[in-house]
Amino acid sequence: MHPLYGTTAVAGIGMRQYRRGASPLPEQGVLAEAIRAACADAGFDPAEVDGFVSYGDDKNEPVRLMPALGTRELKWSSVVWGGGGGGVAGAFGLAAAAILSGQASAVVIFRALVEGSSGRLSAAVMAHHLNDHMLAAGIVAPAQVCAIRANRMYEHHGVPRSVAEELVRASYYHGSRNPEAVAYGTELDLEEMRSSRWIAEPFRLFDCSRENDGAAAFLMVSAARARDLKKPPVYLLGCANGAEKGWGDLLENDDEALYPTAGFRPIARRLYAETDLSPADIDVVQLYENFSAQGVASLIDHGFCTYENVAEVVRFDNLIAPTGTLPVNTGGGNFAQGFIHGIGTAYEAVKQLRGESANPVPGARTCLLAGGPGAPTVSSAIFGNEVP
Amino acid sequence: MNINDGADAPYWNGLADGVLLLPRCGGCGEWLWPALSRCGTCGSEEIQWTERAMAGTIFSWTRTWHRFGFTESLDLPFVSIVATVDDCGIRLLGRLDDPDQIDPLIGEAITGRIGATRVEGRDIPTIIWSRG
Ligand SMILES: [Zn+2]
Repeated sequence: MHPLYGTTAVAGIGMRQYRRGASPLPEQGVLAEAIRAACADAGFDPAEVDGFVSYGDDKNEPVRLMPALGTRELKWSSVVWGGGGGGVAGAFGLAAAAILSGQASAVVIFRALVEGSSGRLSAAVMAHHLNDHMLAAGIVAPAQVCAIRANRMYEHHGVPRSVAEELVRASYYHGSRNPEAVAYGTELDLEEMRSSRWIAEPFRLFDCSRENDGAAAFLMVSAARARDLKKPPVYLLGCANGAEKGWGDLLENDDEALYPTAGFRPIARRLYAETDLSPADIDVVQLYENFSAQGVASLIDHGFCTYENVAEVVRFDNLIAPTGTLPVNTGGGNFAQGFIHGIGTAYEAVKQLRGESANPVPGARTCLLAGGPGAPTVSSAIFGNEVP
Repeated sequence: MNINDGADAPYWNGLADGVLLLPRCGGCGEWLWPALSRCGTCGSEEIQWTERAMAGTIFSWTRTWHRFGFTESLDLPFVSIVATVDDCGIRLLGRLDDPDQIDPLIGEAITGRIGATRVEGRDIPTIIWSRG
């Protein structure tokens, strides 16, 4: 079996989330609260955390967190390369690598985003990519980059546009029932969604995730150590990160067949091979949806459906817990749970496998976490509440 | 970010001179885009900048309605496209004339002329495409 399979686990989680611009504390303060909450959740002394991992432009260099956390010794601090949310799942693999290689023993994975401290996320993401070719074409935002790819997926590859709405509705359905979600208690108004303003065709406002302030943190330790802590372990079963030839930051010159994908084909291939699992073995999916079409492309890349049968699978009824066969974004996802650069999707993955989700999937044993689709490097992970 | 010191400098200088120059490997003949100083296929460092006609087809497109920062010089809505340049297969980002707001079609033939986009007080040369 692959060395990552069931050998490390998430032992504690913590999250603080606010409306964009409404954080009561600066970014580092919110983050320290989330980390302390994750440690308290596990019954673990935060001073004993000896490693930190983040992704995607997080500005909180771990050494600066030490005083607020009482950290005794920092042994591992690293970040997944790449500006989008492509690294969110890969961060767990990086933490596991530190633990399994003996370079650290208790690693916190985190992402914090407070606009008043760090500015707009969309601007930070684009800083990685912007060049004169894009500026001259008026392409300056992630929404536009993803919109161009979405149009190709819809028009050239025959994916019906209606599937985007099904995915958005499922996220809002779950979010409206999740007390920790920004959309809690709010039913999605279908007419409002359909008539919302255009951002960049084919995306209207409701096809786009909207940023929140906040932070989330995950305490990861070896599987054996996790079994001695307070909460039931959520095991990492597999994790893959990267890109294949013909995909990446290529000025839209990606391989023609890969162009409308979300970049996950090699990731899914490796992930399933290394865990000996298949899409049929996945009980619930937490899907980073920066934009609706990219969420759909991510489901296709991970083998849950194809260009041909996507409309049969990506149906509202099929995507919602507890009755759907492919429950997706049971916390509300980036659209409706909240968007702290996607870290909320990982938070829901753990809650779901602990049986703590507001939208529980009966008997769920495995959860796939898919990172930011369409990023030049992407990552996914599979978690389980047992090691089969 | 600077126009004239990257591997694609001849492209920008070409547009300034009124021609579309694109890079081709002198070793294996592969078209290389984004521009490179070494061909990853055959290892040759001989890059031949070759003139191509400003003719192509639409690979994909978006029409932008939201006022994003850096687009202040463009009237809303505006259409951005990925254009496949004829006789080389390189795809370029550009803008498409959109007087009647008719949705572009993937595969539609287009021709280009050299224009510019003003961004933060700087005119960036670009190809502006039209149908037919
Ligand atoms: Zn060559």
